[in-house]
Amino acid sequence: MLENAWLAWMILGSPLIAFVVVGLVGRRLPEGGAHVVVGSLAASLVIAVYFLVQVLQQGAIGNSTATTVPGFTWIPGDPATGEGAIGMNLLIDNLSAFLLVLVSFLSLLIAIFSIGYMHEEAGKPRYYAEIALFVAGMLGTVSADNFLQLLIFWEIMGLCSYLLIGFWYHKPEAASAAKKAFLVTRVGDVLFLAGILVIWNVFHSFRFEEIVQKIPVLWGGAYTPQLALLIPLFLFGGAVGKSAQFPLHAWLPDAMEGPTTVSALIHAATMVKAGVYLTARSFIFLVPIATGGGILVQAVPWNAILVIAGIGAFTAVFAGSMALANYDIKRVLAFSTISQLAYMFLGLGAGAYLMASEAAHGSTEVATAGYSAALFHLTNHAFFKALLFLAAGSVIHAVHTNDMRAMGGLGKLMPWTSKTMLMGALALSGIIPFSGFFSKDDILAVTFETGASNPLFYLMWVAGIGTAFMTAFYTFRMWLMTFHGEFRGHGHPHESPRVMTSVLIVLSVFTIASGAIAFLTNGFGNLIFYEEPHAALPLITPLLEANVVELALTGLSLALALAGVGLAWAVYGKRVISPSTFTKTPTRAFLHSMLVNRYWIDDWYNAFGSRTVAGFARAVDWFDRNVVDGIVNALGRGGVVVGALSDLFDRKVIDGAVNSISLETIRSSLALRTRQTGQVQNYTWVIVLGIVAILVLAVLLGILPRILGRP
Amino acid sequence: MIPVEYELILSTALFCIGLYGVMVRKNAIIVLMSIEILLNAAILNFVAFSSYAPPAGDPAGQVFALLAIAIAAGEAAIGLAIFLALYETHGTTELDKIRLLRW
Repeated sequence: MLENAWLAWMILGSPLIAFVVVGLVGRRLPEGGAHVVVGSLAASLVIAVYFLVQVLQQGAIGNSTATTVPGFTWIPGDPATGEGAIGMNLLIDNLSAFLLVLVSFLSLLIAIFSIGYMHEEAGKPRYYAEIALFVAGMLGTVSADNFLQLLIFWEIMGLCSYLLIGFWYHKPEAASAAKKAFLVTRVGDVLFLAGILVIWNVFHSFRFEEIVQKIPVLWGGAYTPQLALLIPLFLFGGAVGKSAQFPLHAWLPDAMEGPTTVSALIHAATMVKAGVYLTARSFIFLVPIATGGGILVQAVPWNAILVIAGIGAFTAVFAGSMALANYDIKRVLAFSTISQLAYMFLGLGAGAYLMASEAAHGSTEVATAGYSAALFHLTNHAFFKALLFLAAGSVIHAVHTNDMRAMGGLGKLMPWTSKTMLMGALALSGIIPFSGFFSKDDILAVTFETGASNPLFYLMWVAGIGTAFMTAFYTFRMWLMTFHGEFRGHGHPHESPRVMTSVLIVLSVFTIASGAIAFLTNGFGNLIFYEEPHAALPLITPLLEANVVELALTGLSLALALAGVGLAWAVYGKRVISPSTFTKTPTRAFLHSMLVNRYWIDDWYNAFGSRTVAGFARAVDWFDRNVVDGIVNALGRGGVVVGALSDLFDRKVIDGAVNSISLETIRSSLALRTRQTGQVQNYTWVIVLGIVAILVLAVLLGILPRILGRP
Repeated sequence: MIPVEYELILSTALFCIGLYGVMVRKNAIIVLMSIEILLNAAILNFVAFSSYAPPAGDPAGQVFALLAIAIAAGEAAIGLAIFLALYETHGTTELDKIRLLRW
């Protein structure tokens, strides 16, 4: 149990409060309420650290520490058993406590950086309010204790990404990039929602803990092998959209139209990391579940795991290659994010496969290497990608362009930005001892190890190691084009204000140091994986045990990364090789234009959008105008005719009757009133004649005695 | 004793004379007098039946006759007052000249 567990709600509550405050009165606050947001994120960070310390202390590293912080019951379930209730609770375990700290820390730094970066922008209150809501969405996503709650916060993030990417909504590119981000991730979200609905139908619960308990019970019954394959694939569909994996990667490069700080937030701390987190949470469907009588291996969806790892491996190469030929500093980073996220999916997939196949072979030890490697890479990537983006933002702030061809030579003019960005570049390239090296090597090692169970993973390992080479090349191509040589742009760029550079310095320290987290905890898995203590890093193990194969693998990936750096230096640093070498022959030129045009996938999507979808829309429009409108119009005209008939009937028959009755009354009374002469004796005559007539009639009818009251 | 038929015939004759006067004469005074005759015809009937119908000597008819005479006096007074007012406003007591009850 955690002390002061209710405080956990304040981790996401505090940015939410900041969102409301800045949204309402931000206009009257200095810097558009930036300090409110920074303060709220700092509060989140403090509380998150408080819980992480508790989790680490009480969990004694490696023990189960999952605590559910009760919130409220949203939809009450069965009154008797309480089954089927949907609640809003927080799940604080090693993984979520760690990610809460990570997210709030990076968001805090990015918010501080924004004070400098956004200083001259209009619409700052809008920016800061949306940033606060965005971070609240991410904090809610990583601390949700059930899939539905996760989806709610996930969609809050989707909304905020739309708003923030379209921050400069008056720019058509930004507006359309925002729409693209929203729509493309929506494709994944629909799959995610479908997966959630299937989960509900099978388990009647959204809670991770309950689902884990129910899987062995329902296996063979409601939980069939087909559903076991379907659920993780649906959930992965959501992750593909959010994390911009192939084929839903197209939105992320365009999302660069937003402010650079937003890009940093999306790429480092929030949004794209949510996809990895979701896949990590859906491990309950991927790996064997320990039951009372053993381990349930049959329920493992091997093909779903292969899909996850395969998409990861493919996207890593695919996105990495697109970064090779791009001239937009932010887009290079965007492609590298896609590529690095793909590494994480590869690591998760390989880890799940390894875990399952070892369990299938009777091993009782849980192999968590892939899982922890992927999340380790997530952590490291968060730091160095935030650093790279903020440094890129600092550069853009100075030169007012994204085009690297208009940069160059900035190393002398912006020493702090240049040096800190170099740290990030080294980490991204995976050069020892920067953080990226450890986690990337971890993932590759796990992938190689899994190859023993399924040779496909050897292929994925080759893809991963090829990506390592490309990553090193394009990262240093970017760094050299920006900071090396002569300045090719206009104006007089100067170093950014201290509020920005100090953030860069803090981040570069963490970029170097985050690799050491694994050493401190004797393997990163111990930090985020509960239930089973995890062995030390594969890197350390071979050093201690002198495992020649793994050492050779590590050496190979490091050598390829260095080769990539060297090639970039040769082309863009020393200029030994001219960049035009890459476009000399027709084949090379074709490859180059293919990369520049992003494999024409965006064009295909546009064509699909403008031809197929628009054609369908036109067909629907025609149907609507001619058929539906025709029916509606005919009905309308029928109504008019009926109305006219009714009107006619009303005027002629009903009004006619009423009018003629009154007319006749008037006419007859005009005739009758002349009988009223005013002559008293006329009236006397009438009275007398009347009495006489009555009497005569009575006598003739023989009823006179009765009138007189005689029998 | 005079047979009751004679009295009734006299009463009927009086009634017819009065009725004729009311319906035909134009002078309001004469019409009023005719109304008195009509009343007297009715009073005569009361008196006749009082002495004739059993139990003989029942005074109810005679009491009625006296009451009716008294009321007739009042009625005549009111009628004359009305005619006086009519004469003052219209300058005539000819009934066919007075058309106040007209439409």
